[in-house]
Amino acid sequence: MGESQPQRTSMSGRSFRRWFVQIGWRHLVGLAVVVFAAFPLVYVFSASLNPGGTLITANTLFGNPSLQSYVDLFNRPQQPFAAWYLNTLFIGFTASAGSVLLGALAAYAFSRMRFTGRRLGLIGIVLVQMFPQLLAMVAIFLLMLSIGEIFPAIGLNSQIGLIMVYLGGALGVNTYLMYGFFNTIPTSIDEAARIDGAGHARIFFTIILPLVSPILAVVALLSLVATLSEFVIASVLLRDPEKQTLAVGLYQFISQETSQNWSVFAAGAVLAAIIPVVLFLALQRYIVSGLVAGSVK
Amino acid sequence: MLTPTTTRADARALDGRRARRTAETASLGWKLLLLKITVLGLLNAASVYAAMVLFFNERWLIGTLVVVTGALITWIYFQRGALPAKYLAPGVTFLLIFQVFVILYSGYVAFTNYGTGHNSTKEHAIHAIMLQTQDRVPDSPTYPLTVVERSGELAFAVTAQEGEVLVGSADAPLEAIDGALVEEGRIVDVPGHTVLSFTELMERQQELSTLAVPLDEDPNAGALRTQDGQRAYVYTSRFVYDESSDTMTNTESGETYTDGGEGAFVTESGEQLMPGWRVNVGLDNFVRAITEESIRGPLLYVTAWTFAFAFLSVASTFVLGLFLAIVFNDPRMRSRRYYRLVMILPYAFPGFLSALVWAGMMNQEFGFINSVLFGGAAIPWLSDPWLAKLSILIVNLWLGFPYMFLVCTGALQSIPEELTEAAQMDGARPFQAFRQIKFPLLLVSIAPLLISSFAFNFNNFNLVYMLTGGGPRDIEAGINVGSTDILISMVYKVAFVGAQSDYGLASAFSILIFFIVGTISVIAFRRTRALEELN
Amino acid sequence: MTVNTRRLTAMTAFVGAGALALTACGSGGESPGAASAEPTETADTAQTAGTAQTADAEASGSLTVWADANRAEVLADVATDFEADTGIAVEIVQQDFEEIRDQFVSQVPTGEGPDIAVGAHDWLGVLVDNGVVAPVELGDAAEDFEQIAVDAWTYEGQTYGLPYSIENIALLRNTELAPEAPADFEEMIEMGEEAGTEYPFLVGLDPNESDPYHLYPFQTSFGAPVFGTADDGSYDSTELAMGDAGGEDFATWLAEQGEAGVLNLNIDGDLAQESFNDGSAPFFLTGPWNVTAAQEAGIDVAVDPIPAAGDQPAQPFAGVQGFFLSSQSENVLAASNFLVNYVGTAEVQTALYETGGRAPALSESFEEALGEDEIVAGFGEVGAEAVPMPAIPEMGAVWDDWGASQAAIIKGDGDPVELWQKMSEDIAAAID
Repeated sequence: MGESQPQRTSMSGRSFRRWFVQIGWRHLVGLAVVVFAAFPLVYVFSASLNPGGTLITANTLFGNPSLQSYVDLFNRPQQPFAAWYLNTLFIGFTASAGSVLLGALAAYAFSRMRFTGRRLGLIGIVLVQMFPQLLAMVAIFLLMLSIGEIFPAIGLNSQIGLIMVYLGGALGVNTYLMYGFFNTIPTSIDEAARIDGAGHARIFFTIILPLVSPILAVVALLSLVATLSEFVIASVLLRDPEKQTLAVGLYQFISQETSQNWSVFAAGAVLAAIIPVVLFLALQRYIVSGLVAGSVK
Repeated sequence: MLTPTTTRADARALDGRRARRTAETASLGWKLLLLKITVLGLLNAASVYAAMVLFFNERWLIGTLVVVTGALITWIYFQRGALPAKYLAPGVTFLLIFQVFVILYSGYVAFTNYGTGHNSTKEHAIHAIMLQTQDRVPDSPTYPLTVVERSGELAFAVTAQEGEVLVGSADAPLEAIDGALVEEGRIVDVPGHTVLSFTELMERQQELSTLAVPLDEDPNAGALRTQDGQRAYVYTSRFVYDESSDTMTNTESGETYTDGGEGAFVTESGEQLMPGWRVNVGLDNFVRAITEESIRGPLLYVTAWTFAFAFLSVASTFVLGLFLAIVFNDPRMRSRRYYRLVMILPYAFPGFLSALVWAGMMNQEFGFINSVLFGGAAIPWLSDPWLAKLSILIVNLWLGFPYMFLVCTGALQSIPEELTEAAQMDGARPFQAFRQIKFPLLLVSIAPLLISSFAFNFNNFNLVYMLTGGGPRDIEAGINVGSTDILISMVYKVAFVGAQSDYGLASAFSILIFFIVGTISVIAFRRTRALEELN
Repeated sequence: MTVNTRRLTAMTAFVGAGALALTACGSGGESPGAASAEPTETADTAQTAGTAQTADAEASGSLTVWADANRAEVLADVATDFEADTGIAVEIVQQDFEEIRDQFVSQVPTGEGPDIAVGAHDWLGVLVDNGVVAPVELGDAAEDFEQIAVDAWTYEGQTYGLPYSIENIALLRNTELAPEAPADFEEMIEMGEEAGTEYPFLVGLDPNESDPYHLYPFQTSFGAPVFGTADDGSYDSTELAMGDAGGEDFATWLAEQGEAGVLNLNIDGDLAQESFNDGSAPFFLTGPWNVTAAQEAGIDVAVDPIPAAGDQPAQPFAGVQGFFLSSQSENVLAASNFLVNYVGTAEVQTALYETGGRAPALSESFEEALGEDEIVAGFGEVGAEAVPMPAIPEMGAVWDDWGASQAAIIKGDGDPVELWQKMSEDIAAAID
């Protein structure tokens, strides 16, 4: 990251005040937000280190910490956490990549081309996602049952099937986000390339996509998080414990009242949260790249 | 290599060169073509196969749709022009199958009585009624049973209490038979009949499970039935179904139940026999949705709160998210990546977990907020009608600001820094420069997200349900609607009480709510003029 | 029945919406058009087309059983025996226990449902009203089970399940803090105060919904059962009994205890458990599910009868788990055989008890379990006095009103007797 140095060569009162007015207060805001954002999660982390404990009652944090819950997590034959983790990675990343691709294709069309139904289409994709999904499961189950009768590999109890359902939501508000970003890329770039004889596909994949990488990164992250936390569809479509995802599995830890295990559940949630966090770390430079572009000359 | 660290101007120049290079290597095009043919070929093979299976099962409409879709996609990619279609087809196909179909299906359900008691077909309902109303004759003995067969017809051979062997079939009441062989209490041979092996029994278990052998000529004496093939018991049927008149008759009271067209057998006095079955009920669900008393009373209040909740949620998350995005957008600031990382944490944890944690922290007596932050005060965060509303907004702010922070950060990158710099050079204060230059540009790309976020929160069932369950509820009102209930959670409470569910009613509500949210959104879209930009 | 869990599980109603009777309204012909025609055919396909996986399975007569993780393990052994004896394969499909009811209701009509499923007796009302369960004829074997277990699985005169375990709450006592079992509620509170701990007594409640399930034994001790009793000993759900004088006494008592701080709505199930486990109270009204954690925390636990607050015995609700048959099963014979002759044996019932920790429903196993484990014996003895939880489908509405009113009374929001009467009227109206 090519961040320029803050001006802090001398800490005399005057320059400190200047530093504070320009930069320093931002750290105060940052600290406040960090406390606000992280505090409830400290409870989760504390619970994960306190085997047999409960989630929310302990106002005494980190009393006699132990990693036992993390060990337990991987030693439950009926709840194959490791398999869930891998499944989630597979489903999450595939669905997320697919959503970005489908969304970017559509956003490009909406941004660069003029065709009948374009405006209707733009509103339509956002409107469709607004339907209260109270009963969505009914229809999705029916659909996957029918598909499974013809192609068992992508019907019920299939991860590919689940990914397909997730891709159904690829066109939506995220497309809009990309559309807005595409609009800021001057069309002169496309035209220059076209004059040079490049085809539309080549312009899109090799010229435009790299330019919009910040928004692709944002959308990839948003789709991944959405997929990771989705458990209603996944729990209906995926039947075998070996095929399920983290969200479904973790939910089961606490949905059975008589065998609730908060500590193991918290440990699982902490490990699950690593996925989006790592992805964010990896993508952060793309997400803020435009900013860097402005500062490096 | 083109990297994102290049400036726009550089990119343009680079791209010109690159485009030329790509033109030169256009001969690689045949590889792409081959890929295209392969993919489309596989797609068509699959759609033809699916259609054949569907046609084989006489599902003509769906089969035809599959073929047409396959052909359409092939056409789109094998002709020149129709460029937008080439880019839209993949996403739209998934959208139509997995989203639009879902909406249409919910729409269809709204016109049926599907729900508890109307769960399946009439055939299933009759079958279930017959099963559930077989009453075992009180204090009747258990008959050790051997299933036998005579010229293809199943029959029961049982040992009566006196030790004699009786044989009977569906049309022939039990009758004593001589010469049967009994070993260790089991009948092993019956003259003129074949004893069925276990495997044979299993092959004919459907037939066997419906077989009733009359005890004697008197139909009221009951009939022998078996459930496991080894023991038979005497049952009387409380109901008789007459196929020709399509009626159920109660054999005890003599009362007749007819199919009243509303998905159940009913007596003349209107008493229903459960289970019923699914039928179309026209607009009944919509009429109920509007007239249902438990809805109508609190409707105004709940609708107002739903709007307030959705609006305040969007406003608060957006303001905080945008503010933070700007604060952390200054390249001079150090350690921004660490702040950003912590900020997305609320987003990285499962939402249901977070709601449970917050509920614990807001416990009036023992929660962290009261016992630590407020030094032991007893603030009823979740049980006071107004504080509960505030609490739910706070928690939603916590859950939602990382999203807004992310999208605002992303959108800010698309706005050239030079614009602000130029404005500042002209003497504008930073805030002014932001408000007049960046903000309008930002809004163009963010407005649709705000609208969509509004719609999401309008239907944010999970949060309300997990945090407050809609409560606290006004006990005097006598209606199970609480002060934090939004429309969708109220609908849930009306349509799904305990284990009972009324999917028809819930679907009708879904459609009504969809119309409300959709209308507002369309209006909002027009107002923001987001679509007009850059046209 | 902690509230969080109730909320969590209610979520699954969406999930359970699953199949939405794919069979639609085909037979009646009331719903022409593509949308309804297509689902009808789905079901036919499942039964007739060669492409359907089920077709092969049916030919060889295999059984499908839905069970939760704990039960699945034990059943796998039984399934092996059954297959060895009969040649019929049993496929155990693991499901989340709380989801089974709704999934069963929605999937049985599609032909995707199982032949047998595991569940709780209070699901019966909904299962029967939806026509998805078939009666199970226990025959003479019925006498081998604990009476309450068979009663619980009997709905409108028919027995619908083979019970395997009985679950109820009782009083947990920390023997270091309270050496003797209390005789009644007052004595318990006295003993609790003498112990000098933070709380004399704990029970998990919810600020807005109280917890009528956990407070029910105190209610019955005032002679206020929720419903009247019909001649055959089952509930008469047409007669709401708790609005009577006994109920009003109970309401007054609730308000007193709320004011005295003995009943504290802010102590939820988790807090109560944690406080008991760290020795902050000698008594804890809860179920067997919290015993293991207490023992692991080093508490020497004894299980006592629930002390009565009124002048009648304190009877908690009992939940009875069992196995039930699908009304659309095409393998009724095999399924009944599997249930009555295999799952109903002492060996299996004991094995189920050992993994689940609940008192077995089969008397032979019950006695055995009582003899060897004091904790199970303690719960079992209370369970013998318990009454089955009502299974009528309207219970959902009853729980809601009941809990909200109790919470208001404990909080002191108005006159307890008036609030209680208002509740009775609302519930009576909801049931009709």
